[in-house]
Amino acid sequence: MRKYLLMTMSFSLFMGCSLIEEVKPWEKETLAKPTMQFAGLHPEVNKFESHIYYSKEASKGGSGVAGGGCGCN
Amino acid sequence: MLKRIVYSFIFSTVAVLALESGDSIPKEIQEKLNLETDKVYVIDFFASWCKSCKKELPLVANIYNDNIVQVVGINVDKNKEDGEKFVKELSLPFPIFYDKEKHLIKTFDPLGFPAIYYVKNGKVLHVIFGAVKDIDKTITEDIKSIK
Repeated sequence: MRKYLLMTMSFSLFMGCSLIEEVKPWEKETLAKPTMQFAGLHPEVNKFESHIYYSKEASKGGSGVAGGGCGCN
Repeated sequence: MLKRIVYSFIFSTVAVLALESGDSIPKEIQEKLNLETDKVYVIDFFASWCKSCKKELPLVANIYNDNIVQVVGINVDKNKEDGEKFVKELSLPFPIFYDKEKHLIKTFDPLGFPAIYYVKNGKVLHVIFGAVKDIDKTITEDIKSIK
């Protein structure tokens, strides 16, 4: 009795996450949409805006955008 | 009673196995795809949202047009109209099946996408997952080795 109970408990512990259904490769239609990008629909616009912000604030970093310069152009 | 609960719990967590090389395709699917005996088929799963598919499909169409191999395309778009528009845009010459209900792809259960299966006499001979550069050359060489 105790043995079966222990087995059930250990399976629940180690396989608990496996019950969550994984997203199959052919089910990534929504993830493939341009709006699902980290930087949004227009990453180049975001990068440009961040560049100006960093220049005005005399600070850089924290948002994952690479690059530098004076931003005066 | 407790024993039965434990076993049913264990078996409920076992995943359904995907089709691999050497596996047989169910008869109903062979009939649905009109697969003839003694012919090698390339079964290509694709979708309109898949960027690699857009690159690969014109190359696959070329080898079909050159009569190198029989090709069967299976579109897995949620919206059939998206799939039809994509097929029309690429002018795909081979037979296309629309698997909106995901019945076909769930049977094959590929580990990557796009997925290509070489099939002969209802058996999977070889599988290619994911994007492949120069897929036409790869398929041509594989077909030569199979024949």
